[in-house]
Amino acid sequence: MNWIYKGKCWKFGDNLGIDGDVMPLRFALERELDPAVLSPYLMAGVDPEFPNKVSPGDIIVAGKRFGQGNPHIQGFLGIVGHGLGLVAESIPRGSFRNAINAGLPFLTGCDGVTGDVETGDDLEINFETGEFVNLSRDITRQFQPLDSQLQAIIEAGGWHANLENRIAKLRSGESAMT
Amino acid sequence: MGKTITEKILSRVTGSDVSAGDIIYPEPELLTVHDWYVVNFDKALQELGVERLYNPDILVISTDHEPVAVSPQAAERQKLVREIVKKYGIKNFFDAGRGGHGHVFPVEMGFVKPGMFVEAYDVHVTNFGAVGALAIPVLIEITEVLACGSVWLRTPDTVRVNLTGALSPGTSIRDVAQKLICDLGAARVDYAVVEFGGPALASIDIAGRHILCNTPIEVGVKSALIEPDQSTLDYLAGRVDGPIELIASDPDAVFREVIDYDLDVMEPQVAVPPTPDCVVGVSEVAGRPVHHAFIGSCAAANLSDLQQAAAILRGHKIHPDVRFIITPGTQEIMAAAEDEGLLRLFAEAGAMITQPGCGPCAGGRIGGMANGETSINTGTRNDYGRLGAPDADIYLGSSATVMASAVAGKITDPREFLS
Repeated sequence: MNWIYKGKCWKFGDNLGIDGDVMPLRFALERELDPAVLSPYLMAGVDPEFPNKVSPGDIIVAGKRFGQGNPHIQGFLGIVGHGLGLVAESIPRGSFRNAINAGLPFLTGCDGVTGDVETGDDLEINFETGEFVNLSRDITRQFQPLDSQLQAIIEAGGWHANLENRIAKLRSGESAMT
Repeated sequence: MGKTITEKILSRVTGSDVSAGDIIYPEPELLTVHDWYVVNFDKALQELGVERLYNPDILVISTDHEPVAVSPQAAERQKLVREIVKKYGIKNFFDAGRGGHGHVFPVEMGFVKPGMFVEAYDVHVTNFGAVGALAIPVLIEITEVLACGSVWLRTPDTVRVNLTGALSPGTSIRDVAQKLICDLGAARVDYAVVEFGGPALASIDIAGRHILCNTPIEVGVKSALIEPDQSTLDYLAGRVDGPIELIASDPDAVFREVIDYDLDVMEPQVAVPPTPDCVVGVSEVAGRPVHHAFIGSCAAANLSDLQQAAAILRGHKIHPDVRFIITPGTQEIMAAAEDEGLLRLFAEAGAMITQPGCGPCAGGRIGGMANGETSINTGTRNDYGRLGAPDADIYLGSSATVMASAVAGKITDPREFLS
């Protein structure tokens, strides 16, 4: 898998709610899990035109508590549906788990990152190593990457795909750790 | 560097040196799932082509959310659950009338030991911390545990709460537990294990320890547990086979925070709508008329809850405007209540006594509320809609406060009945 994302920055502030801001709540209630269905509604609560503006490889840069609220996975699947990456100052733990399980490459705990970017900047992020480069402003930062075991789940394509791999390994008698 | 109880348990089950923050795949030694999720996990496993459970012998299934099927759909679901249990060869199936509440009877029957690692499909499994087990809720990912034996866990850090002082007269551990989560607040304990210890712990029985471990999940902890002690050993003697070892955090263990907390909370505490951590002294809400009351749920499942209620009720009747429900936690507790004459006392006073299990707290499927009504009860949560009707107010309190309120027909300080 390609862990290096090179694309435009889309900057958002603090406290974006996973329900409402990032994705309409109705998809959580309907238990919709198809990224193709969800992606046209990404960021509907803050910028309804967002899905028409982004390209695969672009990066959402968000402030504190990105995805706060009831931990529903649909918003993260919507991000995956566009092939975007995510860099956030913090992500509450329920949404952290969902971001992993959605198979989304992301960095979190990136203190002050929203001060280093503006929407439209050209970014290059290595989600495997945590290296963050703002090419437009010549800023380089090193953030803590995700644990390698969590990267393995993302690499597999998220929780369900990783689970299918584990089951297959068990059947063939291998260790079922990731 | 020293380790917390949680780090020690997770180090043992993974066979590695685990510290807070580490990502691990720990295999639970006990797994519990309730009657409302069995059909779901079976469907998920079928879709994945999984025909055998990784370890069916550690799984306990309890019919506690809806033991008495009150609809044709529920009866059909119960039938399916029985078929699924047979299909996977699950030995520890406690159907309606066999065990009771799945967060209570496994402790009573000796399934749970100090230092054990448990996972479950249900958040209040943290009750197992009452005897020093680390019990972590897993929701839909329980499918992975059933199929592969584990699911990833970010090792939580620990907030240590040292209990001090003594209860003031007319209050109980439920009052302390409610006030504690209000005082702690969600931010301070988010994702932490709350570990209880301290000089006052010895004064708290296993029933009280269930309550202490039950309420913190409402403010977002990962789990809660008691540092096991001589009371734990005394309780488990004759219940658990084989040796029991106590476990404690090392003196140099790293805690997120260490808090001293006094059991003297001055007056009975009541949680007001809409969340269990909105807690006030009973004097602030006393006098509000109630239509519905119940004692039960995993937050008040034990014989002592019934005893505390009985001490208030004796010589009185349930108020004519109140319907009052008692749900003993387990079959064993119900039988013990019969031995003490409590069931007769409740029945003659006008109470409904239900099959052991979750009682009305499981979404109000039995004994729910109508819009515009007010309930006071010992359930775990008071979100709008928890007991069925979306426009009904739910207050939470101790068994004594609920009983006093059911007799008076309004929220009442139980100390008025004890003087």
